[in-house]
Amino acid sequence: MTPALHVDNLVKRYGEKTAVDGVSFTLAPGEFFGFLGPNGAGKTTTINCVVGVTKITSGAIRVFGHDVVTDYRAARTQIGLSPQDFNIDPFVSTAKLLDYVGGYYGVRAPERKERITRLLLDFEMMPYKDQPFRTLSGGQKRRVSLARALVHQPDLIILDEPTAGVDVELRRDLWGWLKELNAKGKTILLTSHYLEEVQALCSRIGIIRQGKIAFLGPKDELVRDGKTLEESYLEITARS
Amino acid sequence: MNVIGTATLVRRELDRSQRVAVQAIITPWLSAGLFMLVFGKIVGARIGDIGGASYVEFVLPGVLMMNLLSAAFMQSCSALYFQRFLKNIEEVLIAPFSYDEMILAFVFSGMMRGFIIAAGILGIGLLFGATGVAHPLWFVFFLVVVALLFSLLGLLVGLWANGFEQLSLFPTFLITPLTFLGGMFNTPEMLPPAVRPLLALNPFWYMIDGLRYAMIGTGDSNHLVGAAFLIILAAASFLLVRQLFARGWRLRT
Repeated sequence: MTPALHVDNLVKRYGEKTAVDGVSFTLAPGEFFGFLGPNGAGKTTTINCVVGVTKITSGAIRVFGHDVVTDYRAARTQIGLSPQDFNIDPFVSTAKLLDYVGGYYGVRAPERKERITRLLLDFEMMPYKDQPFRTLSGGQKRRVSLARALVHQPDLIILDEPTAGVDVELRRDLWGWLKELNAKGKTILLTSHYLEEVQALCSRIGIIRQGKIAFLGPKDELVRDGKTLEESYLEITARS
Repeated sequence: MNVIGTATLVRRELDRSQRVAVQAIITPWLSAGLFMLVFGKIVGARIGDIGGASYVEFVLPGVLMMNLLSAAFMQSCSALYFQRFLKNIEEVLIAPFSYDEMILAFVFSGMMRGFIIAAGILGIGLLFGATGVAHPLWFVFFLVVVALLFSLLGLLVGLWANGFEQLSLFPTFLITPLTFLGGMFNTPEMLPPAVRPLLALNPFWYMIDGLRYAMIGTGDSNHLVGAAFLIILAAASFLLVRQLFARGWRLRT
């Protein structure tokens, strides 16, 4: 079966600094993968290489078999990204934003309208659909960012700290939505500093430390022998 | 080609202009109307005809050209710069666009804004009795090539600028002075003899005088040389923009 995501010996250098140093991992279709690591370890850089915001120094990345550099159209059509920071025009409304982004991915107007209505209902954003992004609360902004990642119905969803700064209630709601998406067969790559979130959602985990993969395996390997995920994580990231 | 995506990007950029319609559209029309009133009508009444055309008709091509190129420039420049500044350019970078489609969308939206401004100024010209388009094909040619060129230059500055102040450098120190010194209000004979040869080095002179030739049928420059010069400038600008987009300069890290 073609992997949903295959990262092969990825290297990203900024001048003399190596941010990602030979990272390799593979996600099977339908997998819920937790990508962990301390701040600055290389998680976001790896994600940015996958989605095309960052240029790859060496190595290769394939999304459902499509190379993200040479076959970028097919690869990007399959990816939905909710980034760590809100990179959304503050003056645009939610409905307009989703309409634009759907259009970018070639979704036709009638289909776009239908999908946008569904997303606004799913994410409980219908009452706020015409409000400019800047006037929304932090939790509403997170929901818009997630809806934007889904409007073109990608098969690989990349969520870079999607629950950062949101309240407990919304975090639980987000978990529910993500579980639902995963149950529908979507492959999800999640980064988070909330380890209970990773423990609740992910089946396999990769830990990156100083640009290198320090652990890659099933979640169960990290929580056996009475250890918590946090204890195992701290042990792995503290190794020299 | 990502046709729906490219059309959506154009639509988004034109929507953005509508959000600031007073600044983007009404202000240039108002300023053009004032130029026509003060320089064309009031001052022009004392100057009389130039080459068989009224002074209003003589001034209109320069006013139209200055506003057209400024609008095209500002549209593509601000589109790219603000998307970089707000980081929502990443929405475009991760979408299935080729570099050529991105450039096409930004440039087309710049040209469209330029044409909207130009159409309004032509309407203002009609109110002042300046109605002539002697050579329609040359008229279209100069409008299209200049709008294209300045949309591309806008992209270059939109890529290069790292602050709001840098955005205004090109209009303040290049576009405005060279337009005013490019025969907007005067014929070459009105200039001191020592300065006249410098006109040939000013690209804005070919744009303004070329459009003047297209509108009133007379001009002082060689419009064929001007046309060739503008095509070369536009082609060189496109190649440079394309190269920078392909390298991801100030777009991709």
